[in-house]
Amino acid sequence: MSHVIAEPDQKAQIQLLNKQLTDIGQKQCSDAFTAIYNHFAGRVKSFLIGKGINDDTAEELMQEVMIAVWRRACTYDQSKAAASTWVFTIARNRRIDHLRGTPRVEIELEDSLLQLESDDIPAEQQVDILQDATRVHSAMATLPEDQHKVLHLSFFKGQSHGDIATRLGLPIGTVKSRIRLAMRSIRNTLHEQEEQV
Amino acid sequence: MNISHHLSDDTLQEYTAGALDPSLEVVIACHLTYCTSCRNRADMLDVTVGALLDTEQPTAVRTTALELIQKAQSLGEEQAQAEPPVSDVPRPLGRLLPAPLESLAWKRLAPGIKQYNLSNRHRKYGAFKLLHLAPGVVLSQHTHKDKELTLVLRGSYQDEIGRFKAGDVADLGDDVVHQPVVDTQEPCIALIATQSPVQFSGVMGKLMQPFVGF
Ligand SMILES: [Zn+2]
Repeated sequence: MSHVIAEPDQKAQIQLLNKQLTDIGQKQCSDAFTAIYNHFAGRVKSFLIGKGINDDTAEELMQEVMIAVWRRACTYDQSKAAASTWVFTIARNRRIDHLRGTPRVEIELEDSLLQLESDDIPAEQQVDILQDATRVHSAMATLPEDQHKVLHLSFFKGQSHGDIATRLGLPIGTVKSRIRLAMRSIRNTLHEQEEQV
Repeated sequence: MNISHHLSDDTLQEYTAGALDPSLEVVIACHLTYCTSCRNRADMLDVTVGALLDTEQPTAVRTTALELIQKAQSLGEEQAQAEPPVSDVPRPLGRLLPAPLESLAWKRLAPGIKQYNLSNRHRKYGAFKLLHLAPGVVLSQHTHKDKELTLVLRGSYQDEIGRFKAGDVADLGDDVVHQPVVDTQEPCIALIATQSPVQFSGVMGKLMQPFVGF
């Protein structure tokens, strides 16, 4: 289990980013924003490039995403999401909106019909965001390269399973099964954690 | 809410990737409004892609953090979204409706079957509509060609797969043959969306689609 070694570092890194993002929201801290920007801006730009988005457009969209990070950081809650998850969802929406002219349709937190998780879940069964994110990051770091690649193309680059099959010269069934295997190992690390509790 | 029929892994993964039409996203977001279990699964997928973002190689950028802060300060306040006019359905659907479900301008299709078309809003995409089925209505047996999601909003129906009540979603694979029956004294109102057909393969699919497309 090689990822166990990396885990404390992973956890510290995730924790630091979560805290910096919180500091932007609570104190309008420009040092914290600089740190968040230095970590995410180039990665967000990598996420945006491709699928009909060139470097110039990606730069422009990245700036919009990072401005949104600065302005919406006051709504960030580190007990609900890791910084990387939160930044990704903003970047994803910007890309979808750019490509098709309407934003991604999502649940609305103010919706009176929104079913909330019942309050009587015992504390030890409640989701520990930091721990889950750490587990997922570690699992990701130990995925076989071929599985990591299909996850990247599918989730990250938004390519259809058919496009990925063509690009990698694989049968579509192989693409689907690699995604399934990768998701299963990620889920398993989360379940391991639940059983240990 | 007691929900027994959920979104498939494939559907949630495509939703995460942003690979679905807005009409299907509306059905998914409505189900996620009702279903904490699918919401947790969707959240975990977002965590996964967030982890992918963290391990990505950065591309060179051409501005600094401080320049962006300055830019941000020169911008006006961000506009909050207005409340939708209709609140008896989840907001992602409420934003598309001019009136509550029972007061919509339903169009009669067949005895006991009415429809309200939503696809004008999303013309580029596949079928997108509400169906209003009277108690006892039996739809003709049929199968599906394109990806299709059905979310029950009121009442219930039963088919070969099981019983679908308010909040349940039918996320059917290609080969399912089914015959839905409205099984209580209450009308069944359902929201239906299909993915826009892939070019060249849609013609036969359309011909074979039953007239209600359910
Ligand atoms: Zn569900």
